[in-house]
Parts: sequence; structure tokens; C-alpha cells
Amino acid sequence: MILEFMRDDHRACDHFYTAAENALADKKTDEAKELFNQFYNATNHHFDMEEKQLFITFERRTGMMGGPTQMMRYEHQQLRALLESMLRSLNEGKVDDFFGQGESMMIMLQQHNMKEEQMLYPMIDQTLGMDGELMVQTLREMPQ
Amino acid sequence: MFNGLSLDQAPPISVVLRFFITLPLFGLSVSALMIFFPSEILTANHPISLASIHLLFLGMISMGMIGALFQMQSVLGGAPIPSPLGNSIIIHTLLTAGIFALASAFMFQVPTLFIIAAVLLGSAIVYFAQILLPLLLRKMAHNTLQGMRFAIVSLLITAILGIVMATSYANETFGDSHALLRASHYSIGLIGWVAALIIYVAFQVVEMFYVTTPYSDWCKHNVKRLLAASLSLKILWLFAALPFVWVFDGVIIMVLIGFSTTTMKRLRSRKRRVSDVSIWFWILGIGLLMIALLSHLGSMLNIYPLLEPMSLIAFALFSLSIILGMMGKIIPFLVWFHLNSAGYMETPIMSNVIPQKRLKMTFWLFCSMALTALIAPFYPLILIVSGLCGVMLFSVVLFNLTNAAKLYRSILVNGTKFTFEP
Repeated sequence: MILEFMRDDHRACDHFYTAAENALADKKTDEAKELFNQFYNATNHHFDMEEKQLFITFERRTGMMGGPTQMMRYEHQQLRALLESMLRSLNEGKVDDFFGQGESMMIMLQQHNMKEEQMLYPMIDQTLGMDGELMVQTLREMPQ
Repeated sequence: MFNGLSLDQAPPISVVLRFFITLPLFGLSVSALMIFFPSEILTANHPISLASIHLLFLGMISMGMIGALFQMQSVLGGAPIPSPLGNSIIIHTLLTAGIFALASAFMFQVPTLFIIAAVLLGSAIVYFAQILLPLLLRKMAHNTLQGMRFAIVSLLITAILGIVMATSYANETFGDSHALLRASHYSIGLIGWVAALIIYVAFQVVEMFYVTTPYSDWCKHNVKRLLAASLSLKILWLFAALPFVWVFDGVIIMVLIGFSTTTMKRLRSRKRRVSDVSIWFWILGIGLLMIALLSHLGSMLNIYPLLEPMSLIAFALFSLSIILGMMGKIIPFLVWFHLNSAGYMETPIMSNVIPQKRLKMTFWLFCSMALTALIAPFYPLILIVSGLCGVMLFSVVLFNLTNAAKLYRSILVNGTKFTFEP
């Protein structure tokens, strides 16, 4: 339940980034900026869904406060910093820097996603049980 | 409920670098043998040929794969390898010394060296497997973990068969079962260890890094089963001297052709269109795997005898292509990641750790080496050209890696960290 919903959201974010990167490679700077903003907003929203709802509920139910969710929060911080740098590079027209930072961001983001999809989300699904559906509904309704 | 699960970050960079930097050194050794002994390398079961094959599959391919597993385990496996620094030093030392001993044993035909090699390599692989396997035997193991588990078990069996064969070489007495042991040793090593690990890593990496359509769940679930069943039955058939052993080779070829075509399809229709040398290595690697499979099929059908060595060369090049492509991505990422995590202001972007220009150079040198090596079974002397390309290729790879290590160390020593004033 959670795994499928959050995995689809990961893929949607990837799609925005790929579209932005492709547009910039084709020298369509304005389109790239717009697409990157969509990626930036979608990714930050995804992190918010996790930090403000999912992780808190999981921690309350299991009592695991300093475990995997804490590590994921730490990685969110690193990724947020990278997104800020990329946004700055894009707005300042530093295309090579943007691609260089983008490569690191993409590997880090995908490693982060793998950990969540293969370990954390199945654990959360197992913890929430039947309440998973309600959680997905709550996450869907969270404003961007 | 979830005891034992850790989502720790990567192991120290030196853990992975240690294995990766050794790879081009063995690459230079194999290239030197190609230059000086081209005909001997291409003669089946010649001591120099056997030395080269082990330098290639253990010194380069397994060295790269074991190094990458130290990094991947914390991401794909969920729990990092414990005491990574100490364990990597033990495994790397035993493995490197064992490979040198084995290659020397073949080349100089020294019986004692076979025993030393068996002890060192056996210890390295058993030690590695006993650390990694328990981490892969978790309850919630997903397909990739199961695939990795199958690969490590295959490596272990390959090593055990290798040890048995090394004692035969040491005693210079080869029993009736020697040919069967050899066939089992290379079948499990090439398919169960090398191909299976690459396939299961591809299931994760291709989709996520290059943003492609996902592989089907059926594939992820059944490839390891098909490979395990075919390999087990093939060995059983071989030892029981039953007919139609080729059926199992046929199944393995079909599985690998299926993997190649689906992977190629995904890479070609990937959403991420930005040019990246690692993609070139993947596409080339998959192409080489297809050549290996088709030429093996050709040799099974007795079309042309020289297709068999061509098949082995293409398979080795396939594995090497994937490893070199991934190394070009992993090392710059690790340098960036460790420095960035430590808060250094001078942290370089990935393309400044190993410039694209030099990564492209490794690709074109690899292409030249691969093309000439593939022709070599038909024109043996061209292996000298291949060896020369290999010397250039592995010199550049070594330069890239040592430069990345130097850059990392220099920033670690002289860099400035971000500080937060309260």
C-alpha cells in the first residue's frame, strides 16, 4: 500500500528531473527551469509527506526514534542542500555545474529511494497493516 | 521487531578504492601477457592461458565486483558489512596474494604455489562469504538480495571446486573427474557468480539511474531460479554422464539472451537522454554479452571451432565493460559524497574528480582492446595490439583512480570545513 504509493511518487519525481535535464541538454533553458521547479517542489513535497506524517506515525507505533527514519531525515537534509545548489546554478546560468551537481544528486537520490523502497516502506506497511489505506489518503490530501 | 536493520551510510572510501585500484594493476599484467604470449593465451589449457584467465576473472572482474559489493551492501542489502575497513584489508590482501600465487603457479608450474594459492584464495572467498551471507539471509529479502545471495553461494562453490583442482595441479595427478570438475568450476563461476550478480545489479541500477521502464517482476523473480536450476542439473547430468547436457546450456543462453534484449531495449528507450559514458559502457557490455551467447551457441552447434574462445573473450569483455562503466561513476560519486558529508567547502563536483574527457578516453581504448581481442582467435598476433590497447587503457584507469584518491586526500588534509556559529 505505502510502498506502491510512495514508489510511484519517486518515479513521478524522476520524470520531472529527467524532463528538466533533457530540456537543458537541448538548450531550452526556460522550459528546463520550469520543469526543474516542478521537480524541486515535488521532491520537497515527497520529503514533507515522509517527515510530517509517515515517519512520525511509524516512530510512534514502533518506538524506533533514532533508527532508519532518522537516517532518512539526514539524507533528506543532504538532498535538500543539493537541490538548492542546483536551483542556484540553473538560475545563474551555470549549466556545467548544474549537470555536475545533478549527477551526484541523482545517484544519491536513487540510493536513498532504494533504501526506502526495499526496507523502510515494507517495514512501514507491516507496521501500519490495515491503517495503510488511511495513511495513503492522508498523504494524498497533504497540500503541496 | 526490526532488530539488526541499519540504514547506515557508505563504508570509508578506502574500502572500495583498495579493490578498484588493484583492478588496473592486474589489467596491466594481463595486457603484458597478451603482448608477450599471444599464441599461448589462445591455446586452450596452456599454462599461460590459464594464468591469464584467472588474472582476468579473479584479479579484475571479481576484484571489482567484491569492491562494489562492499559499497552496494549498505544500499541494496540494508545492513552494511561490519568493520568494513578491517575486513576489506583482510579480504583484499588474501585475494591479491592468492591471485599472484595462482597465476605464478600456472606460469612457472610450481606445485607448492598451487597449495599456497588454494589456501589464500579459499580463505579470502570463504571469509567474504561468511561475512556477507548472513546479511543477505534476512526475512524481508527482496529479489536483488536473493540474487546477490545466489551469486555469493556460486562464488563459494566455484572456490571450493577450484581448491580441489589446485590440489590436482599440485600433485600433478588428474583423476577421471578432472574435466567434469573444470566444467563445473567455470560454469558456476561464469554464470552463477559473474552473470547473476551483474543481472541482479542491473535490475536495480538500470531502471533507477537511467530512468527506464522497470524490469518485469517475473524476470526479477525467476532469473535466479532458472539459472540455479539449469546449473545444478547441468552438473548432475555431467557427473552422471547422462545425455542431452546441452539442453541446460540452451536454457542458460535463452535466459541471458532475454536479459540482454530487455536491457538493451530499456537502455535505448531510457528517459534520461543526457550523454553519459557509463551508458556507453552498458550498451557495449550488453552487445558483447550477445556476441558471447551467439558465438557459444555457434560452437555448441559445431559451426566453427574458434567460436568457443571468442565466446569466452566476449563474456570477459562484457563483464569488464559493465565494471569499468560503473567504476567511472562510483568513484567520483564517493569522493563527492564523503567530502560533502564531512562538510568540506572545496568538495568537487563529480565531473571534476574524473573529467568526462578521460572517461571517454577509457571507453574508446576499451573499444579498441575489445575489437582486437574478439578478432584474435582468428588472427592470434592481433592480440599484441589488443595488449597494447590494454596497457594504455589500464594506465589511464589507474591514473584516474589514483588522481581521485589524491584529490580526496588533499581536500581532507588542506580543505576547509563549514562551521556553524552558535
